Amino acid sequence: MTNQDSNIPLNIDVRGDPEYRQKTAEALDPGNILLKRFRRHPGAMIGMIVLSILIVASLFAFLSHYPVDQSDMSNRLQSPSITHIMGTDALGRDMLTRVLYGGRISLSVGLIVVGIALAIGVPIGALAGYYGGQLDTTLMRLTDVFLSLPAFLVVILLGAIISEGTFPFLKGNSVWTISFVIGILSWMTFARLVRAAFLTIRELDYVTAARSLGSSDLRIIVKHVLPNSIGPIIVEATLEMGYAIVQESGLSFLGFGIQPPTPSWGNLLSNAQENFTKYPWLAIFPGIMIFLSIISVNYIGDGLRDAFDPYKVLETVGEYT
Amino acid sequence: MATYVTRRLIQTIGLLFLLSILLFGMVNLAPGGPLAGQGQSRHIAPEKAAILKRQFGLDKPLPVQYVIWLTGNDWMKVDTNGDGVPDGIGTRKGILRGDFGFSFRTRQPVLNEINLRFPNTIYLMSITFIIALALAIPIGILSATRQYSIFDIIATTFSFAGQALPEFWLGLIMILVFYAWLKNPFTGAPLLPSGGMSSADSFVLSDRISHLILPVATGALGWIAWYSRFLRSSLLEILPLDYLRTARAKGLPQRLVLYRHALSNAMIPLVTLIALDLPYIFMGAVFIETIFAWPGMGRLYYQAAIDRDYPLLLAVLIIGAAFIILSNLIADVLYAFLDPRVRYE
Amino acid sequence: MFNKPRSLFFLTCVIISSLVLNACGAIKVTSTPAATATQAPVSTQAPVVVATDTPFAPANKNITIVIPEDPPSFNAVIAYTGYDAMVMKMTLLGMTGIDPNGKIYPELAAELPTLENGGVVQDESAGTMTVTWKMRNDIQWADGKPVTADDVIFTYKAITDPNTGTWIPGIDSVDGVEKVDDYSFKVNYNAISTSYLTLFGGEQVAVWPAHYCDATQGFSAWDCGRKPLSDGPFVLDEWVQGDHLTFSKNTNYYDKGKPDIDKVTVKIVPDATVRKQMMINGDADINMWTNETVTADLQKESSVKVSISPNDRFVMRLFMNTAAKGTTDATAKPHPILSDVNVRQAIRMAVDADTISQQIFLGFSKPVWTEFFRPPYNQCNITRPKFDVEAAKALLEQAGWTDPNNTGTRECHGCKTGAPEGYKMEMQLITYKEYGEPILLTQQLIAEELAKIGIKLDLTTVEGSVLWADSKSGGIEQTGNFDIDLWDDGYSGTDPADFISQYYSKDAITPDNGWNIARWDNTDFNNLLTDSYTLDATKRQSDFCQMAQILDQQVPMILLFTTIDADTYSTRLDGVQSTVNDVVTWNIADWKVVK
Repeated sequence: MTNQDSNIPLNIDVRGDPEYRQKTAEALDPGNILLKRFRRHPGAMIGMIVLSILIVASLFAFLSHYPVDQSDMSNRLQSPSITHIMGTDALGRDMLTRVLYGGRISLSVGLIVVGIALAIGVPIGALAGYYGGQLDTTLMRLTDVFLSLPAFLVVILLGAIISEGTFPFLKGNSVWTISFVIGILSWMTFARLVRAAFLTIRELDYVTAARSLGSSDLRIIVKHVLPNSIGPIIVEATLEMGYAIVQESGLSFLGFGIQPPTPSWGNLLSNAQENFTKYPWLAIFPGIMIFLSIISVNYIGDGLRDAFDPYKVLETVGEYT
Repeated sequence: MATYVTRRLIQTIGLLFLLSILLFGMVNLAPGGPLAGQGQSRHIAPEKAAILKRQFGLDKPLPVQYVIWLTGNDWMKVDTNGDGVPDGIGTRKGILRGDFGFSFRTRQPVLNEINLRFPNTIYLMSITFIIALALAIPIGILSATRQYSIFDIIATTFSFAGQALPEFWLGLIMILVFYAWLKNPFTGAPLLPSGGMSSADSFVLSDRISHLILPVATGALGWIAWYSRFLRSSLLEILPLDYLRTARAKGLPQRLVLYRHALSNAMIPLVTLIALDLPYIFMGAVFIETIFAWPGMGRLYYQAAIDRDYPLLLAVLIIGAAFIILSNLIADVLYAFLDPRVRYE
Repeated sequence: MFNKPRSLFFLTCVIISSLVLNACGAIKVTSTPAATATQAPVSTQAPVVVATDTPFAPANKNITIVIPEDPPSFNAVIAYTGYDAMVMKMTLLGMTGIDPNGKIYPELAAELPTLENGGVVQDESAGTMTVTWKMRNDIQWADGKPVTADDVIFTYKAITDPNTGTWIPGIDSVDGVEKVDDYSFKVNYNAISTSYLTLFGGEQVAVWPAHYCDATQGFSAWDCGRKPLSDGPFVLDEWVQGDHLTFSKNTNYYDKGKPDIDKVTVKIVPDATVRKQMMINGDADINMWTNETVTADLQKESSVKVSISPNDRFVMRLFMNTAAKGTTDATAKPHPILSDVNVRQAIRMAVDADTISQQIFLGFSKPVWTEFFRPPYNQCNITRPKFDVEAAKALLEQAGWTDPNNTGTRECHGCKTGAPEGYKMEMQLITYKEYGEPILLTQQLIAEELAKIGIKLDLTTVEGSVLWADSKSGGIEQTGNFDIDLWDDGYSGTDPADFISQYYSKDAITPDNGWNIARWDNTDFNNLLTDSYTLDATKRQSDFCQMAQILDQQVPMILLFTTIDADTYSTRLDGVQSTVNDVVTWNIADWKVVK
């Protein structure tokens, strides 16, 4: 007799069958499960495609045969055409090239900000959540101090301070200084997230087991607790990337961020502002790029959220701000 | 609960004190200063700069400046006539007694400057907030109850798009479309005004509303997108839960199930989220106010940052921080109040 | 908790639809002629029958001025943003004013005191002088009280109060001001002051009412600086901070029949694009200080006219630091590249001021190559330095800056500045961002032009408040923390001596003591400068011309071209005249509303 659903006869022990073992292992592998769930999310897939296109295009911007910073006064302010797909700017530079180079800046700011926020927030949250007690209180006070700052106002102020090359080893207004400015006001959400996850997980049995077996705290944190709380962290990281791109563009738009002639989407928008009504393409394209990158990042984040946590077990509502 | 609130309030004082040191340091360490140059003169004559430095109190070391900012200088001798010798009593009372100092730019008390702009921001932002909620809540509810319907798909896409649009870009496009391109078919004048609070001399309701439309629309879009999505996901978590299934099994109509049981529980996190967003009503949105020429706090702050108007900057930052701390407290208390499962000691 | 969200939903819909309907209604309401002056003449009520040539009488005589920010006060001395001067000129008078051609005219004064008419008495040996002013006796404040010498003395005391006062140019050489009678006073100087005519007048200084302003509040902060008592053509009605100011005609104005305008609304509109659009739509009548692109755009509109100042003030310059970057003593630590005058001359030859001014400044600027290019001191006949890229390259080769490995950037091989062998010719070019896009484009073009002769420039933009701050606040120029700066400046009024002194004299080298950021010290020049503080016009001219020669040879600063000073105004107005010596409302009493 056979099972109606498969060809495996019921009276054979399948556990020895290598093919069966492999297929089961694949099906139960958490990475695969994640991937499958992610793939079911149409928005996220489109987001991945769009974001990848943006990243690849920015990386390969150097292939453009137009220079990014050489002026060409005979070709100023051309509207979009076959030779200049996005038109030219006030110095005759090809806008497509500048937008793609700007993409490098804006996307890397996004990534670096997330990196900085994670590098600060995750350790703080982990230590607070794992050890609790006085350490927890102190670290949460610190988090509160930063959370009480009116974030964007302080970013504007910091943008003004750090933009003037106060650090001798960093050229003012570079990608790193701007990312630093935005990053040190973005880590608090991660700290809270990680702490909340740790508070839940550290009570679980396998952690107690590991401790009783004599694992050091650091080992437990890194090998057991952190990997299981990674879901919300990754989700929040993707959302934070979108938010960082907005902040950088906003800062550059106000004049405190990346300075020309280095293009960034934000300062391309601010340069376009003066002649917006006459030369709308100068502002439309950078704006569209910002929009596309943020929306794809948000969709990816949503897809990741569904992939990690379809039943919303770990998501603690009210911890997010 | 009372002890919890008292404890938090005491912590607030400590927090504000720490913040004041942090902010004072940040503001003063910014390179450049208010003496750089004003308007038409790219820089100030050195004689004038020397006088201003003394009058602004910038000739003192930074810690002394901090103490004066905090506690005033009417308890110490100051140099009133520029000869370097302290010979008179100062006139400042310091923040702790409510004197936020004088703006470097206008020489008027900082609180006066803020009071002039403060109502305008509250006016704009609270209307934006209310309209955003008024639209977000129904959209969120409909999205959740009709999950995966056309409405839901459109609403969700719209909310993703709304969160991805940069506010400053949207504002410029709004002005481009509604002020520069579209004209009122009856009069030939632009369809909507480009900025400011009003065009009429006295209060005319329709005029005020026409000035509100573009800034409110630009500002509310992001919030509608965010809140509706939040409410939707919140509701979606709750709707399939067992206690609602029981209620339905008991025969309660779906509407009652939804509004009495599900919504009230789903609103709890939303309410706390709203409480956390309250500081925006005070600090305004820098972009909207700048683009739409709205005379509010955001624009005041931005201009002060460029001018390095330290007293004004510090006042806005400290008051903003105090608002945030208080709204966090309100959010936590509200959460405990609404959700009986949460208890603080 | 929320028992009727559905009805809430309906309520929301009702509110929104009523808002929308109201908004449609709102457009109708605000477009009636009575509300604002936005109508084209055709759609107004029937023209009033007037026995003049104009076919249409103006519907109303109200105008709107748009500016980007609130004036900080009505006292232009405190924080001279220009917008304060604009509203000050509408409400207050000074002893004298300067017209667009540089000629000083009396305002509160009955006549200008000179050596000839005995108003000015010099003591040549002691180097002092006295000036006696006679005031008009027919000018009153808006409350009816007369404007007298008491008001001038009150203003003087308020300015010189050490606690609450401030500094105005020329005040340091004034010993005191004494009243002679109700309508005349004497100013005692302890030095020869060549700018005595504009001490209590000109661009920034007005005479304030003694019986109305509160001396204890002080000149810098008194309330009458925000609620002024007018003796000028207009009276302040209302000031809604951040939004608008409204003024109406001063019925007590001394020049009967003027002003022609009934009401002025000053609107605060931060966005330049919106201001431009308001001019195009007819919502604004004056757009103050429009830059090149906006001016060019508005010139094309038939309803807008442009008034360009007949003289220029602001000149775009390249400031070069002859002291090593970060230091302020050019003799002890000379700049490795810029301390050689040949290098400076070569840079001057390589910058194409004509192309930049045509392409970026749309032809609104004129090339300038000497400080003395404005009347009455523009008689020096300095030849224009040529623009010659090859000659620039040759000069650099001669000066010891060569490029043996063809890297595109020159290196020191036998250069005369004391730089180490092989030192690369790389520098930083800084400009300030508040000017806007044209200066950024200029900066980039200059970098490209200098790259052609082998000098590599790194471009940076900073805020004005950092570039020009004092040395303690880390001001870039005062601390010498730059190689080359690019920005515009120029002197107001007709007397360049103070300006030249601030930028080129030896005293000005010390940080925070002046603006000789080139750290340039030339003995002959300094002697000539001291000599030029004389009332002898011929001697002055000759001194200035010799100074011009020295500047031309030594090139401590490269002057490029003037930048625009223009205001745009609607065709409704007549008589608007931009001027570098004042703001556009200097003659608002004379404007006429013709449409």
